[in-house]
Amino acid sequence: MNKEALQGIRILDFTWLLAGPYATRTLADFGAEVIKVQSEKTASGAEDNTTGYFNTWNRGKLSITLNMSHPQARNIVLKLVKISDVVIENFTPRVMPNWGLSYNKLAEVKPDIIMLSMSAMGQTGPWRDFAALGHTIQAFSGITYLTSFPYKIAPPSPGNDGGQTGQILPLGLGYAYADPVAGLFAVFTVLAALEYRDKMGQGQHIDISEYEAFCSSLGVAILDHTVNDNIASPQGNNPGRSQAAPYGCYRCQGDDRWCVIALSTEEEWQAFCQVLRYPAWSKEERFSNFSARKRHVPELDKLIEEWTIKHTPEEVMGLLQEAGISAGVVENVKDLANDPQLIARKFFLQIEHPVLGKSVSDNTPIKLSRTPARIRGAAPLPGQDNDYVYRGLLGMSEEEVSRYIAEGVIY
Amino acid sequence: MLEGLQILDLTDEKAVFCSKLLADLGAEVIKIERPGGDSSRWLGPFWKNSPHPERSLSFWYNNSSKLGITLNLEVKEGQDIFRQLVSKTDVIIETFPPEYAKKLKLDYQSLVEINQRLILASITGFGQTGPYRQYKSCDIVASATGGQMYICGAPDTPPLKPYGEQSYFVASLFAAIGILVALRERHQSGKGQHIDISLQEAVAATLGHVFTRYFYDGAVSQRQGYYDRDGSFCLLPCQDGYIFLTIDREWDILVNLLDNEGMAEDLKDNRWQDSQYRRQHFDHVVEMLTRWTKRHTRAQLFLLGQLMRLPWAPVNSLPEMVNSIQLSERNYFVPVEHPELASSEGQGKRRPSRPLPNKGGSLGGPPLPGGGPHPPNPISVEGREGREVGDKLLRYHYPGVPYVMTGKYMMRRAPLIGEHNTQIYQGRLGLSSEDLKRLKANKVI
Repeated sequence: MNKEALQGIRILDFTWLLAGPYATRTLADFGAEVIKVQSEKTASGAEDNTTGYFNTWNRGKLSITLNMSHPQARNIVLKLVKISDVVIENFTPRVMPNWGLSYNKLAEVKPDIIMLSMSAMGQTGPWRDFAALGHTIQAFSGITYLTSFPYKIAPPSPGNDGGQTGQILPLGLGYAYADPVAGLFAVFTVLAALEYRDKMGQGQHIDISEYEAFCSSLGVAILDHTVNDNIASPQGNNPGRSQAAPYGCYRCQGDDRWCVIALSTEEEWQAFCQVLRYPAWSKEERFSNFSARKRHVPELDKLIEEWTIKHTPEEVMGLLQEAGISAGVVENVKDLANDPQLIARKFFLQIEHPVLGKSVSDNTPIKLSRTPARIRGAAPLPGQDNDYVYRGLLGMSEEEVSRYIAEGVIY
Repeated sequence: MLEGLQILDLTDEKAVFCSKLLADLGAEVIKIERPGGDSSRWLGPFWKNSPHPERSLSFWYNNSSKLGITLNLEVKEGQDIFRQLVSKTDVIIETFPPEYAKKLKLDYQSLVEINQRLILASITGFGQTGPYRQYKSCDIVASATGGQMYICGAPDTPPLKPYGEQSYFVASLFAAIGILVALRERHQSGKGQHIDISLQEAVAATLGHVFTRYFYDGAVSQRQGYYDRDGSFCLLPCQDGYIFLTIDREWDILVNLLDNEGMAEDLKDNRWQDSQYRRQHFDHVVEMLTRWTKRHTRAQLFLLGQLMRLPWAPVNSLPEMVNSIQLSERNYFVPVEHPELASSEGQGKRRPSRPLPNKGGSLGGPPLPGGGPHPPNPISVEGREGREVGDKLLRYHYPGVPYVMTGKYMMRRAPLIGEHNTQIYQGRLGLSSEDLKRLKANKVI
């Protein structure tokens, strides 16, 4: 069997919540040794080792317990830094320096250490200490405002009269998407810094702003503003600037079931009409060519929905895709868990956890042919690897470890 | 960071951002376009809103810092030249349908015969294997089949695709990570490998807690629009737009804030301490909070929240984000020169380019300007207008990279059609200028 791609890379992991653990999980998936430092203060809530969340984002990592507020913890961390390649943290910028663990302090004991600090707003600037969740970042970035329909929507609750009259209500994304995005940039930059270190012999401090990471996903709209003064507005499910019709999300048979369809060529339109068995309307003048269809989108969509509503989204997708047309089921999480394509590609895997038992998790979407990801197992229990790390790696004696435990440094 | 790494870029819009990520870190990326230019050059928006293959802003953004050559891969002579390029490169990134790639001998098996060390990254709608591998895809199909759309929108609206081309964005990130992982492994083994990225999986792999909630609690996440029905956050109207508020763990603080203004009323009752009770009577919570938020501006509430360390935020429009003081203080925007536009404009007709991000001032930072989530008036602050360098150059501000690393970050404008043909074909492959002329005449380049 091949060696794992990142075998031999040791990562000291101070991350918590979602963005950071998502990043170090990816590194662990490909064979890096990730040592999660768990402090009593942080190891609760979503960071409680026996929750599904913790198990999901921390699989395959090692855990040591260390009471970071104890003055002796710092020296133990510095000893670990000496034998690590990378230190990753996603606290607000004050935390690591307050522990005496700024990049400069780490570099004193390990000159080529790579330290990655990821925070909501970055390590500098007037907003650096702001508190943020993924949703906060999304609101800041503009995507919450931009992800909506380009018309006024009836408010769903009697408690809300819909804000100012005539406004488009922001809907935003239904989940914390900004966190994994920031985590991906963290993995990407750490790997690049490792390349650089191996070539140049130098470590560095990487400063990632979750806000900026997310703004990168809106790059074209930003440029359209800085260059043209154009101002992006909500597009709903419209094709935006790409030329396409029919295009959109169509209601299908069943409760809250939908299929998206996206046509871009005349050839596809012909194939589409064939799948629908050439209904009379398909031969009408107003749908005869692309620009005509584009002018009659509402009528066209209504007629198409009369067809889709008679079929399940799976049928619509299958019929259209077999005819060479882009289409896809709007899948909820249950659909995803049963999706034949995802199952065939082993997108889900089972992990056995000593407390939670057997559970399912999503695999990495990065599929390498020769050295694929290998999930080592469940997330660790607190301090599960104290022995390996403190005695094995740091060479502490049994007495030393006992003393640290007695003094409350290791718990 | 990645100086010396050589990449051939055969991507369409699905993964054009992947090679940009690597070019941003210093890799040499050669974008190979068909003679006459890639079709993605016709994707809007355009410079001055006028369609032209050298003026697509989507092309500009996604191809900055790359080199550009033209080559016809569908003819034998083009394929021969391509094989020479393959033998010298580290990485190829492509987005062809699997069958088409095989036909052109661009599949991994064919390419690895030329270059054992080659890392090939293939990005397609559904991946290289499985029953859907030949199915067509695009951003909305990936968003739907990856589980994103179903949970965006409100309970009474259809599913909603997030703004932008998020599936291409995350698939590109995953592919770029895969390439660097494979590169590290190659230092040991001396061998490359094939990276297979599916847009559907890339979207599904960034759904946050959606899978965890399902696999552990059986919960199927629903569209919930403005409010999180679990009672942890909501978007509420203010005087000048919307505010994102978290309301669960910070309940006591919230009630205090309302009470300070005499607006807490029955929310002070003990029963509201119970988060489950709040969830059951969520409409009342929203109604009471809305009465309060409507008396304030976004800036007031947002600063109040941050003062209490609550992760609140104004729902910004795109210009408000662009003008954020935090972004400009961190130099997130980078100047990119476009000399080719100055000459095309002709003397005296040049319009000043837009804009330098606003340094300081009230716009973008707290306090926020009025205007609500509807775009405020275009900003024309002194110092942001009229950026012309010397007499010839136009300079625009691009979104930069979201990280600070060693060295100064630079960005070059995207290549013009065939801009680096001579440099690559003569300089790199040693073809003569006669060869080049002949290839041009035969429409190979």
